[in-house]
Amino acid sequence: MEQRPQVLARAVEGDADSFSSLLEPLLDQAYRLAAVMLNDRSSAEDAVQEAAIKAWRKVRQLRGDSGSLRPWFLSIVANECRMARRTRWWSVIKLADVKSPAAEEPESHSDLHRALLRLTPDERLPLVLHFYLDLPLEELARTLGVSQSAAKSRVYRAARRLRDDLTIEEVF
Amino acid sequence: MSNDDFRRELGHTFDDVAGSPSSNLRDRVRSAVTQAPEARGPYWIAGVAACVIAVLIVGVLYVANRPNPPSLVAGGHETPSASPSPEATASPSAQPTAVPTQSALPPFVCGSTTWAPSQPASTPYTEHISDLRTGVHSGYDRLTITFDRMPGQVEFHPQSGTAFTLSPSGMRATLKGKNGILIVMQGTDMHTSYSGPTDVVTGYSGLAEVRRVEDFEGVVQLGLGVNGAACYRAFYLGSPARLVIDVQTAS
Repeated sequence: MEQRPQVLARAVEGDADSFSSLLEPLLDQAYRLAAVMLNDRSSAEDAVQEAAIKAWRKVRQLRGDSGSLRPWFLSIVANECRMARRTRWWSVIKLADVKSPAAEEPESHSDLHRALLRLTPDERLPLVLHFYLDLPLEELARTLGVSQSAAKSRVYRAARRLRDDLTIEEVF
Repeated sequence: MSNDDFRRELGHTFDDVAGSPSSNLRDRVRSAVTQAPEARGPYWIAGVAACVIAVLIVGVLYVANRPNPPSLVAGGHETPSASPSPEATASPSAQPTAVPTQSALPPFVCGSTTWAPSQPASTPYTEHISDLRTGVHSGYDRLTITFDRMPGQVEFHPQSGTAFTLSPSGMRATLKGKNGILIVMQGTDMHTSYSGPTDVVTGYSGLAEVRRVEDFEGVVQLGLGVNGAACYRAFYLGSPARLVIDVQTAS
C-alpha cells in the first residue's frame, strides 16, 4: 500500500484522486463538527463539501507532514461554518423557518442538549473538538489557531457554560 | 452529575445533534474536488489580474503625482509690480529649443516680480542648478538657468546701480554695467550639480555680467549687471527645467 506522505506529495502536486483519498477518513469528523456548529445536518454536508474544495485549492499552502492535514482541514471546515452562518441566504432561509422556543427545545431534549444549543457556534467548536472528536490538545490548538494553553482555556470556559461546577482537571 | 456521566451525556447530545452523514457525502466531496481544478485557473488568473491592475494604478498615481516640469511659462504665476515696457521685436532664439514664439512670450517689465509654483511641493526640497548659459539676441540678451527640477519661489528685483551685497559674508560687490537685477531663488542650490563659473562677464550690450551673490541654506541669489534699463522678461521651460531671463536691449 502506498505510504501516506507520498499520497500527500502527489496531492500537493495536483492529483485530485490522491487528495480525495487523504480527505476521506476525515469526512466523518468534519461532518460532525459542522453539524454541531451549524445545528443543521444538510447545511453541514454543504459546508464540508465547500471546505473540501477550498482545501483542494489551498493544498499547496499545507505545511508539515500528513499529520498536519486533520487540524488544517478541520479549521477550514470551521471557517466554512462561520461563513455559512454569516451568509445572507442563511439568514433569510432561517428567518423564514423560525420556530417557537418550545419547538426549538422540545421536552424530550435534555438540559445539556438545550444548554449546548444556547452556546454560539464558536463556543461549541472547542467542545466538539475535545469531547466529541477526541482531538489531542496539540491538534485542537492548531485547529483553533491558538496556543495550547489558550485552547485549554477555551474548552474549559465553554464546558463551564454547560456545567458550572466543572474543574479544569475534570475536563483534561 | 459525575464527570463520567457528564462526558457520556455530552457525547450522546453531540450524536443527537449531528446524527450521521449521508452515505453519498464521500462521493459528493470526491466529485467536487475532481471538478474543482477547473476553478483553480480563474482564481489564479484573477490573482494575476489583480496584481496587474494594482501595478497600473500605482503607475498612474506615480505619473500623476511626480513633480511636473511645466512646458511653457506654466511653472508659476506672475505677480508683477511694475508696468510692462514696449514689447521686443526680436525673433525667437534658436536656444533653448522649446522657446515659444515671440508673440507667446510675456512682455518685458522693469519692476519687481515674484514667481511662485502654482502647485507647491508637498515636501520641502532643494532644486539644483546644473547650468548657466548666456546669449545675444536681437532686442535682448538671454540668461538660461537649468535646474534638475523647477525651483520654488523666484523673485526679480531691478535696481539702480550694480552694487550687490554678498551673502552670507555681507561684503559688497559691484558688477559691470549701470543697473542691476537681483534674482532670488528659494529652495535652490548652486553647488551640488553646478561646477561652472560663478561670475560671468559677458561683454554683451545688455547683459554685462552675471554673478552668484548668495548660495546659502537653500537660497540662491544671482546679480545681473545690465548696461541699459533693468527691464526683463522671464519664463519657464521644461525638459529640462529651465528658467529663462531675457534682458531687454536697445535694438
